[in-house]
Amino acid sequence: MENIKAYIESGVLELYVLGDLSPEESAQVEQMASQHPEVKQEIVAIEKAMEQYAVQNPVEPSAEVETKLFEKLGLKVDDVDTQATDVKSTAQEPKIVKLDPNHGKLRSLKFALVACVALLVMSTVALFSVYNQLNDAHDQIASLNTDKQKFAGVVSHLEFENKGLENVAAMADSKEWATIRMQGQAYSPKSSMKLYWNKTDKSVLINYVAMDLPKADAQHEYQLWALVNGKPVSLGMFGKQDSTSNEAILKMQTIDRAQAFAVTLEPMGGSTNPTMDKLTVMGGV
Amino acid sequence: MNATKKLTLTEPELVSALQSKDPKVLKVLYSMYSASLYGVISRIITHTELAEDVLQETFVKIWQSASNYDNNKGRLFTWMMNIARNLSIDKLRSKDFKNSQKNQDIENNVSFVDEQNKVTFNPDILGVKQLVEGLKPDLQAVLNLVYYKGFTHVEAAEELNLPLGTVKTRIRLAIIELRKYFN
Repeated sequence: MENIKAYIESGVLELYVLGDLSPEESAQVEQMASQHPEVKQEIVAIEKAMEQYAVQNPVEPSAEVETKLFEKLGLKVDDVDTQATDVKSTAQEPKIVKLDPNHGKLRSLKFALVACVALLVMSTVALFSVYNQLNDAHDQIASLNTDKQKFAGVVSHLEFENKGLENVAAMADSKEWATIRMQGQAYSPKSSMKLYWNKTDKSVLINYVAMDLPKADAQHEYQLWALVNGKPVSLGMFGKQDSTSNEAILKMQTIDRAQAFAVTLEPMGGSTNPTMDKLTVMGGV
Repeated sequence: MNATKKLTLTEPELVSALQSKDPKVLKVLYSMYSASLYGVISRIITHTELAEDVLQETFVKIWQSASNYDNNKGRLFTWMMNIARNLSIDKLRSKDFKNSQKNQDIENNVSFVDEQNKVTFNPDILGVKQLVEGLKPDLQAVLNLVYYKGFTHVEAAEELNLPLGTVKTRIRLAIIELRKYFN
């Protein structure tokens, strides 16, 4: 034991810790340390003293040394920086990782990008649906327009008919118009027809509504005559009213004077003189 | 030491991570020990640029020869500190260093001297400095030569014109004073 104490006090262990011994001498110290716990303890105590001395006298190197070091070794500093806390999970002492000021910015930028993409998708869907609705609306407007035109046609037809009927009603009441009732003759005893003659301007109107004549065939039509001093004067042709015609009232040729009116069935285009055996209706003024 | 600002791991964790060549551990190691090792280096080499070169070389060597470290032979820091001291002493004796000493322009001298004396102010250092200055002058001289100037004990004996045994004893006594202070 005295030997061990002398060995410790020789100062060789301090030189060992300071790395100031030859490899042979170092190996000798290590062998002693493995055999004698006191030597081992002494070495550890010296090491801790030297370590504390260094740790408590730090000098901060410039920051670029670290950057250069990692460049030289080909290691990525940033990767290491953010993941440093992962090294060996069981660390007891507090580990503080430098805050990366760009980290939060990058995160919020990522969120913004996702939000933008979502917004874009939503906008596209909305646009597409609005476009479809617009097309539907266009179709509806077109079909409504068609309907409207149809109704407008019907309304104008009704207005016309209404006007015609009003005219008839007015003519019947007015003293200006004379109503001549024509009765069925031998050719067609059941027929009847009315004729309106204006005393002022001498115009002659017939009304399909107030007409009951047999249907004329394709080769024949009716001809209206006025008897002036025993002579027949043609006032024009008229056919049976067909379904496509809007006309309710038909204006015939004017006549200044007449004692009677008559209608005969004549070949298409009319005749110069009435065909008397086809005399349908006749009535005196 | 303001431990909360540093990345720290316990020594066994550091050793196993270092030997498995985990790149993250170098960051931790640098964070924990760069200032302490640079303190050792910059007291041997006062030229800032060269001292920083040596610090970089120290960490390169730690990284590359991590597999050589054997924790039965001593503490991790002792191993790292000796790498730093040896590289510093090598640099001090190299042509590189001698040239840089000659090539200082007169104009640059003021800022150069300022840079050489640039030391981080740490309240803890004050106590240590007082302690070292409070050592007996003969202990202080030996410790300065061996610890700061990177002298071997043989060189220190020549420098101080003392027998080898006396130098050894004085180194031991100086470290015992440090131990009393720290332990």
